[in-house]
Amino acid sequence: MAAMFSQNPLMNGPNYSVNDAPRIGAPEGAREHRFDPYTDNGGSTLAIAGADFAIMAGDTRLTSGYSINSRFHPKLFKIGGTTADQEDATIVLSVVGFAADGEALKERLDAICKMYRYRHGKPMSVKACAQRLSTILYGKRFFPYYAYAILAGLDEEGKGAVYSYDPVGSYEREQCRAGGAAASLIMPFLDNQVNFKNQYIPNSGEGHALVERERRPLTRREVEVLVKDAFDGAVERHIEVGDGLQMMIITKSGIEEVLLPLKKD
Amino acid sequence: MTSIGTGYDLANSIFSPDGRNFQVEYAVKAVENGGTSIGIRCKEGVVLAVEKIITSKLLKPNANKRIATVDRHLGIVYSGMIPDGRHFVDRARDEARAWRDTFKSPIGTADLASRMGGYMQAYTLYQSVRPFGITAIVGGYDPSVDLPVDGEVGRGPSCGAGGKIPGKNFGGPGLYMIEPSGLYWGYYGAATGKGRQAAKAELEKLDLAGPGGESLTLEQAVKEAARIIYVAHDDNKDKDFELEMTWISGPEGPTKGLHQEVPRALREEAERLAKKALESDDEEEEGKDDKMEE
Amino acid sequence: MDHRPQAWGRPRDDVYGPYDASYLHTSMPKTATQSPIVTGTSVIAIKFKDGVVMAADNLASYGSLARFTDVKRLRPFLSTSVVGFGGDVSDMQFLDRHLTELAIDEAYEAEGCSAGDVSSSPSSTSSSDSSPNKNGQLNASNLHKYLTKLMYRRRNSFDPLWNQILVAGFDSASQPFLASVDLRGTAFTSPSLATGYGAMLAQPIMRKYAATEEDAARLTREEAVKVVRECMKVLFYRDARSLDRFSLAVVTKDGVEISEDEVLEEQSWAFAERIRGYGTQTV
Repeated sequence: MAAMFSQNPLMNGPNYSVNDAPRIGAPEGAREHRFDPYTDNGGSTLAIAGADFAIMAGDTRLTSGYSINSRFHPKLFKIGGTTADQEDATIVLSVVGFAADGEALKERLDAICKMYRYRHGKPMSVKACAQRLSTILYGKRFFPYYAYAILAGLDEEGKGAVYSYDPVGSYEREQCRAGGAAASLIMPFLDNQVNFKNQYIPNSGEGHALVERERRPLTRREVEVLVKDAFDGAVERHIEVGDGLQMMIITKSGIEEVLLPLKKD
Repeated sequence: MTSIGTGYDLANSIFSPDGRNFQVEYAVKAVENGGTSIGIRCKEGVVLAVEKIITSKLLKPNANKRIATVDRHLGIVYSGMIPDGRHFVDRARDEARAWRDTFKSPIGTADLASRMGGYMQAYTLYQSVRPFGITAIVGGYDPSVDLPVDGEVGRGPSCGAGGKIPGKNFGGPGLYMIEPSGLYWGYYGAATGKGRQAAKAELEKLDLAGPGGESLTLEQAVKEAARIIYVAHDDNKDKDFELEMTWISGPEGPTKGLHQEVPRALREEAERLAKKALESDDEEEEGKDDKMEE
Repeated sequence: MDHRPQAWGRPRDDVYGPYDASYLHTSMPKTATQSPIVTGTSVIAIKFKDGVVMAADNLASYGSLARFTDVKRLRPFLSTSVVGFGGDVSDMQFLDRHLTELAIDEAYEAEGCSAGDVSSSPSSTSSSDSSPNKNGQLNASNLHKYLTKLMYRRRNSFDPLWNQILVAGFDSASQPFLASVDLRGTAFTSPSLATGYGAMLAQPIMRKYAATEEDAARLTREEAVKVVRECMKVLFYRDARSLDRFSLAVVTKDGVEISEDEVLEEQSWAFAERIRGYGTQTV
């Protein structure tokens, strides 16, 4: 189980959710004969917070093993709206990992946000919603939702907010986060391009005296391009990512949804 | 009722000295105040109809159905206290489901009538309860073909044991009427409620037990049912009414063995004919009166 | 006084020996399907412009034994939807009974008092006057959601129903609907779907004709049926747990038509001669 929740490529082999590797330590010919309630449906998600917006993105492929189950299975959900099409929602949740758990998690969080809204007459803040999501996840600590969740919205000051989670509810607010199958491919790219890690001002000094490039918030246009590039790269190198790119841009005027094609191979 | 006021009518489970259960008889009175319900059993199936008195202009037309589906092939209509009827139907649905759970096949009309008769009778036995204020008419069509067991796979043996006796009829239409005492009989035509006397007289004219029943088609039965409800309705005493009708045919018939509402077009046609028949009856009578005066 | 109520009123241990409390424990351990026993293989389905075509062969296998050869794995629901079952047959029967009860429940409140399909007629089932979603009855989309929740609940209690299920019919917007749910409650939709071996062998063929929803919306009924028949043939060629007799269901706005004794025609086994490595031949 430990390997299941690890995003460490060393433990997870080539980082496919399919594992054909022989079991180490199993007696010769012995087979585990038991229902495994979990599976990994692949796919990848990504969220970036801007100065006055947040962008959530995810591919739309759903896999099981080497099969593509569906080319359009959204991983991004508007949360806490009052209508069937969630047009007045203010928060976006993305889930990746085991699709059935992801769906169940989404339904629960959505129901809770709706109840909050009806009781208090105002939408839930991202901060409150983020804490509540953690509580939900930890509530199933001993039979976890096998889903990597990312929550995005605008905080009380109108700044973009991204909260990322592990399957059992540990969470933090971040500038950006990639989740799912291609997280290990996308995250270093984001470190470099969003947080300007390993970027130095040329000729500013020798060795440790090099001055880091100053961090500045990215514009919405820049981030959209970044997201597309990140996914194009992931699609190229990861078999479980592809088909379509779904993007949700949260601004103070609402949530905008963009669908772009990705390679289907 | 000679024993009224002598204390024997105060509770169930106490007979009067002349062997009557007054609570049951009072329940029958409650039935006699309810809108007329009838059932017609013909060769091709069963028709159920009810005269639904419109108690308020604020009620939505054609809503608030009075005839209930109990299982795919079973329907129940009742006259009397409607909440009692609702509970009765709930119980019938439970019985039908329990039958399916144990036998993996639909309950027969006769079996349902028997179970519901037993249920009704239980409410005449105890101090703590009162009898049902309804008389229910149970209609159904037991499949004449071999139905698959619920959830069964495959078709079973195509020859050998397990076959049917050739030439023997299985299944077919069934019609039962259950009274507050728990008494139930199978009928060719059944009527209860306020207009039962007139309705019974009309049903008898159809001669359902004899050649009348052989020749009556299901569609004709629908039309007769509509006419009888209109005949049984007392214009002078009662407010307006709505006619609600359902039918059940065999697997080859129009409802494919299901209990369904009579299609709107057919019902309206039946109502038109019913009104016409009533008018011509009136004219005849007026004609007679004229002659008398001469 | 003993603080355990269970010990009250029992014969004295010092006189009669220790009390046998075994009856206090329920005798049976909780049971659950740990693996499928009698199984059905692939179910395949493809959308077309007016509805959905679904097919599954009539075989139930007991391991490698072709145990039952006239099994109906496509079941109609309310004469508006079809449910196709792959995987364990007893779990399929359980679900079928459950859906029968659901259909009867639906009929209680239905405007037309219709109690849904008659699964009686052996060769074909059809109903003409029932448009999808009439009377606010459960449509295929609702049914799929229901089954998804049911399957997910069972997996949460570690007592799964060992099936992969396809649901075909129409959604609330009266558009053709096709979706899948498996024993873990994973649910998804696609213009064409296949379970088991069908996902490997039939799905690529169907995707040639209906890669996208738009492609599927251009397919005619005849084309869709042809594709599905072709896929059933490919599956019979290569899936050792399959049969050449199969059921074919077509769902349209006019209702559900299921024919349960289709036979694969125009088979060609010429390719079999070229297969090496099995049997008696040495080269």
